[in-house]
Amino acid sequence: MRPLALLLALSTAAALPSSAEELPVRTAPIEVLKSHHLAVRVKINGKGPYRMIFDTGAPITIISPEVARETGVVPRDAQPPPMALFNALGQFSMQRFEVGGQRADKIPAIVMDHPAVAVLSRGQGELHGIVGFSFFARYRMTLDYQAKQLSFTPNGYVPDDFLELMMAYMAAKKKPPPRLLDPAGMWGFAVSKADDDEEPGVIVDRVRPDTPAASAGLKVGDRLLTLDGAWTDSAADCHHAAGGVKPGIAAPLKIRRGGKEMTLMVTPRMGL
Amino acid sequence: MRRFAGLTLIALAFLAPAHPSIPAEEPKKADGPTVQVPYRLTDTKHVLVRVKINGQGPFHFIVDSGAPSLFVGTKTADKLGIVATKNGWAGFDRFEIEGGLVLEKVRGRVEDVFQLESMNKTGLAGAELHGIIGYNVLARFRLTFDLTKDKMAWQRLDFEPKVAETATGKNGVDAVGGLVKNLGNLKLERGLGLRGFLGVELAEKDGAVTVAGVWPASPAAEAKLQVGDRLTHVHAKAIKTAAEAHRLIAPWAAGDEIEMTILRDGKSRSVRATLGKGL
Repeated sequence: MRPLALLLALSTAAALPSSAEELPVRTAPIEVLKSHHLAVRVKINGKGPYRMIFDTGAPITIISPEVARETGVVPRDAQPPPMALFNALGQFSMQRFEVGGQRADKIPAIVMDHPAVAVLSRGQGELHGIVGFSFFARYRMTLDYQAKQLSFTPNGYVPDDFLELMMAYMAAKKKPPPRLLDPAGMWGFAVSKADDDEEPGVIVDRVRPDTPAASAGLKVGDRLLTLDGAWTDSAADCHHAAGGVKPGIAAPLKIRRGGKEMTLMVTPRMGL
Repeated sequence: MRRFAGLTLIALAFLAPAHPSIPAEEPKKADGPTVQVPYRLTDTKHVLVRVKINGQGPFHFIVDSGAPSLFVGTKTADKLGIVATKNGWAGFDRFEIEGGLVLEKVRGRVEDVFQLESMNKTGLAGAELHGIIGYNVLARFRLTFDLTKDKMAWQRLDFEPKVAETATGKNGVDAVGGLVKNLGNLKLERGLGLRGFLGVELAEKDGAVTVAGVWPASPAAEAKLQVGDRLTHVHAKAIKTAAEAHRLIAPWAAGDEIEMTILRDGKSRSVRATLGKGL
C-alpha cells in the first residue's frame, strides 16, 4: 500500500506546478534591431519609456546624461566635468527602474553617452543606454528570441557593485591569491592527466574503498569524460564540476573503460 | 522606420501560413529539447560557457545578447586551422557547448573584438576569453539565466536566424578600442587551485558539527580524528554548521596544514592535519 501512496504523491507533484514556479513572473517585450541587437523599453523613476539595448554581455547598466537629468537620477543642471570622456558623470542610483512589467528599486546606473549606443541610434532609432547584469542578475530570466520576450522571476541574487569591484582590482598591488575549486561533497577518488595527453577526459588514479565512488563502481584507470554533464578535461575541471553537486544528490559520471562509454551514478557525502 | 515595421508585419502575415509549425502566438509547439549548460561567472560579471570547436578546446565564450553574431578570436581560429573569407566570416563544422549541446555548420566572424582583447590584456575576467556567442547562435534558443544556479537552460527553438555576412564597418566604437589599447598590461589574473582533501564526513545535530566518518588512510585518519568527535573550531574560528566548517577549510590546498579544535570526552583538544589530493 505504501509504495502506491508514494507513487500517487509523486505523480501529483509532477502534474502540479511546484510552489517555486508560482512566484510572480513578469515580462518585457524585446525588439530585435536590424543590427541583431536587442532593445527593451524602460521607465526610470516613473518617466519614459526609453528605448535601451538589452545586453547580457554588459556587466553594468548605462543611461545617457540627458535621460539621467530628465528622470532626476542626476540634478537637472548636472554637467559632466570638462574633458569628461563620453560625457561621463559617474555612477548614480536609480530609485525605480522598470523593464517592461518588471520593477526594480535602487539599481546603479553609469551615466554616460556610450559610443556604441550612439552608433546604433544613428541607424535604428533613438536609444538611450544599455540594460545589463546589474539588473537582470536579480532574476531567473528567460530570453526567448522566438516569442521576442524576456520574463523575470526574482531569485534573491544581489549583484556586487561592479565599479567598486573593478576599482579594488585596479588598486591591488599584488596578485590576488588563487581561487580554490571546492568540491561540495566527498566522492572518494582522485584524477590526473599526463602532459602529453590531449584526449578529452582525465584518468582516475585512485579510488578509495567504501566511498561513494567505489560503491558506484568507479575503477582506477577509468577515463572520466564528464561529471554532472560538465567536461572533465583536467583535474581543475573535475573539482569545478564537483563544486556544483550537493551532498546527497546523485550525479552522473560519464566514463570510458576499455573502449566502452558508460555512466555511473555517484552520490557524494557531506564532508571534505 | 514605422513603414518598415508595417511592411515587415504584412510580410510575416503572408509567410505565416507557409510555416504552420511556428505560429507566432504559439511558439511553444516548436519547443525542442532543453540542455543544462554549465557556466561560470567571470570577475567582470560575464556569463562564460565552454565550447569545443571541431573537437578542440575547451574555449571560453561569453554569452552576449549584445553581440550581433558569433565572434571567434584570430588566435583561436589559427589554432583550429580555420581561414576566414575576405569579409571576415568562417564556418565551424562542429560547435559543441558544454552540457551536451552540439551545433553543426555554425557561421561566425573571425575577429579580435576590443572587448575581449581588453579583458585578456588586463586579465580582468579571471580567465582567458576566446570568443563571444551572439545573435546568430543565441536566437536559436530560449535561454534561462539564473545566477543562483550553476547551470543555465538552453532550449532549442524551431527558428533559424538569418544574418547577412557583411564586413564590420569602421564606426565610433573603434575609439573605445583605441582607449583600451592604452590600458597597458595590468595582468593581475588569479590562478586556480584545488581545495585539499581531508577525509572527514560531517554531521550536524543541535547546533553542533560532529565527525560522522573518518576515511581510512586519509589526512583525517592520520590526524587521529574519531567518529563522534565534535568539531568546534577551524583555525580558531568557532563553527556551528557543516557549511561553516566547509567555508573555513575551502581556501586550503593539498599540502596545506589546517588546525581544528575538537571536543572529545568533554575535553577540548587541538588537531592538525595536512590536506591531501583528490575529492
